[in-house]
Amino acid sequence: MAPRALAATLDTLSTSPADDAARGPARLLDVYRMLANVRQLDTSAVAWQRQGLIPGYAPMLGQEAAQVGAGFAVDKTRDFVFPSYREMGVAYTLGVNMVDYMSTHKAIWHGGLYDPVASHFAPFQAVVGGSVLHAVGWAHGQTLNGASLGGLGVGLAFLGDGASSQGDVHEAMNFAAILKAPVVFFVQNNGWAISVPTEQQVAGGSVAARAAGYGMPALRIDGNDVLAVLEATQRAVAHARAGLGPVVVEAMTYRRGPHSTSDDPGRYRTLDDEKIDGGEDPLRRFRSVLVEQGVADASFFDKSDADAQTRADEIRDGVVALESRPGSEMFDFVFQESTPTLGAQARQWREESEHV
Amino acid sequence: MAEVSFPLPDLGEGLLEATVLEWLVKVGDQVERNQPFVEVETTKSSVELPSPISGTVLTLHGEPGDVVLVDTPLITFTVADDSAGIVGTVPAEVAPKRRVRLSAVLDED
Amino acid sequence: MSESTKSATLEIVRETPLLQLSMQQAINRALGEILDTDDRALIFGEDVGLLGGVFRVTDGLQQRFGANRVFDTPLAESGILGTAIGLAMAGFHPIPEVQFDGFAYPAVNQIITQLARMNYRSRGTLPMQVTLRVPSFGGIRAPEHHGESLESLFAHVPGLKVVSPANPQQAYHLLKHAASMPDPVIFMEPKARYWNKAGVDLAADEDIASLEGSVIARPGKHATLIAWGAMVSRCLQVAELAAEDGIELEVLDLRWLKPIDEAGLAASISRTRRAVVVHEGPHTIGLGAEVAALVSQSCFDTLRAPVERVTGFDVPYPSGDLEDEYIPNIDRILFGVQRVLEYRRG
Repeated sequence: MAPRALAATLDTLSTSPADDAARGPARLLDVYRMLANVRQLDTSAVAWQRQGLIPGYAPMLGQEAAQVGAGFAVDKTRDFVFPSYREMGVAYTLGVNMVDYMSTHKAIWHGGLYDPVASHFAPFQAVVGGSVLHAVGWAHGQTLNGASLGGLGVGLAFLGDGASSQGDVHEAMNFAAILKAPVVFFVQNNGWAISVPTEQQVAGGSVAARAAGYGMPALRIDGNDVLAVLEATQRAVAHARAGLGPVVVEAMTYRRGPHSTSDDPGRYRTLDDEKIDGGEDPLRRFRSVLVEQGVADASFFDKSDADAQTRADEIRDGVVALESRPGSEMFDFVFQESTPTLGAQARQWREESEHV
Repeated sequence: MAEVSFPLPDLGEGLLEATVLEWLVKVGDQVERNQPFVEVETTKSSVELPSPISGTVLTLHGEPGDVVLVDTPLITFTVADDSAGIVGTVPAEVAPKRRVRLSAVLDED
Repeated sequence: MSESTKSATLEIVRETPLLQLSMQQAINRALGEILDTDDRALIFGEDVGLLGGVFRVTDGLQQRFGANRVFDTPLAESGILGTAIGLAMAGFHPIPEVQFDGFAYPAVNQIITQLARMNYRSRGTLPMQVTLRVPSFGGIRAPEHHGESLESLFAHVPGLKVVSPANPQQAYHLLKHAASMPDPVIFMEPKARYWNKAGVDLAADEDIASLEGSVIARPGKHATLIAWGAMVSRCLQVAELAAEDGIELEVLDLRWLKPIDEAGLAASISRTRRAVVVHEGPHTIGLGAEVAALVSQSCFDTLRAPVERVTGFDVPYPSGDLEDEYIPNIDRILFGVQRVLEYRRG
């Protein structure tokens, strides 16, 4: 397979708001700390699965820059993120409670235990492309509510190259452009939809290129360059926030690990492929930038990595301590207002089953 | 309100025209579906035509004695909008018909 | 409430002249009132704006409430439902329309995997106050996929509630009730009954309890016909004809197809001891099977005959010319009644 082109190849977004604060030294160090946190938690979660602590996990190794960069562009007070199932790095960056987030991987509750409303991070959901339309609807709601000072809240839909094949993604982009909804379609093109490479998934080779057909601007960026991702997402969010409509950001990255902890990439790609196609590790790249700019040194990296390890261990303790939810919750959350039929089933369950 | 025209149908096999004998309604009349509205004569027979819809008569296309061609307008109705513009047909209210009679020796307990 | 107060209230109600409305007009009126009283309510779908919907159910609403609250969407049902879910997540109360029952199929993924589960997935933090209006069932000789009966499909999905009004009065009140409920409701409008006018008492049924469960559309004592949507009026015709033969049929209008009024079913059939369930949808695993199971469970000792099902057939919904062969007609329902009347044990 040919090496993947990672260079920025598409930029149709007209305005380029300067955000120098994004490149201030303190912010850069925050970005690195979060990259380290996410890398550490991700590799830890794989280990937890091997230790029998959680039944499964969808690793995001290699996508840290794409997720952390995008997460830093989100205004947690007024924007809303619509994830799929591999957005741990976005969740972490947004400040979602990571024990509650990881609860979904411990099979405690499908959507996770975190509060999506307070977190501005929609429930974890497993249907690829399933939440993209929700971002459009939510964003249109912001338009209907009217812009407050400083512009509209923006819905950020996270999807991958695989999800881009879903009809719902077309419908979402079309609806968003028609409604001029403040949405950013953030596509992590990580090269693989489980075992099928992008070349066999995305006709034309680029999701961003489709934006032209909907009359919306698009950015195709090196998703392993965290600052490029941050800047592109900020520009896209600013465009949407100003009421100018939706934007597609396609971050070209690489899924360095398996699709999930039960996947075997050896059946569809070689280690050499991974080495060539994956390119340079996004964390290592950012470390080089920080060193070149004289913003950070080895002691900062050591401390950041150690802190990340400490945080991952704390999260692990929390995940270990997570207990099963009471079985009655099966019935409690089906409806806001339950029904006599469901009530009868709950009573019968209580009488006839052993309960956790 | 919407206008709906009813063209003269082919009343036999391959007939081309018919002659208006008598209008059974006049402009402004409210006509119910299936109500006969005109008597026409063809080379084969004279027949009363039932209205395909309910509506108010707007135009009668022709006087008694006039020849009307098949597929050209015979009568135009105005109909309430709420019965216009759908995909499908507004179902007619028809008197219930039955073939089956019930018979039962009912226990009285 | 004491008896005297109750009858006094009824007297007052009777003084209010009944409005003669078609179901289409009754729903239009209800939608207008919902938009008037709930500023989070939104109506959208294909052609619901200036055209007023292909059945004119949303006629005049965009002119009255503006294109922000009543808007046309692109022609994509999954998009309509997915957008509705996102709007509900943003605190709105969407009332989307899919233009015809068969057009709900492209939206089934969003309905089942998202709409029905969001409250559950989010542990009650993201309620889906979404009322999906679906012009439903057959009887108008329309093209393919314009006359489907989806109630069994929807009623099978955890997290959805399903209701179908039988007349303008119910359509008006049940829709207002459904739209006020904090859960997703599939509102199945029997399109064959859109144009039939009947009296609507706008003030009646303001008591929420009266809008839940089933209603007895006609009391009787020899058998109960159980129906919903357009089949209720057909069953009332059958009851009228049966009376000529000395048979008094009760007609139970189920109204809510999820949750099903188990107590109401049991009460009626424990009186009449015979049950015939009538629906347009296909026979196998139709909602009639659920009704039959519930009735056998609650009324096994009193039943004089197995529950009869008079239904559509296990065939794709036929073309308009064959529609009358498919939808339960008066004779087929009478045959069903005859079978429960003449059944003898052993």
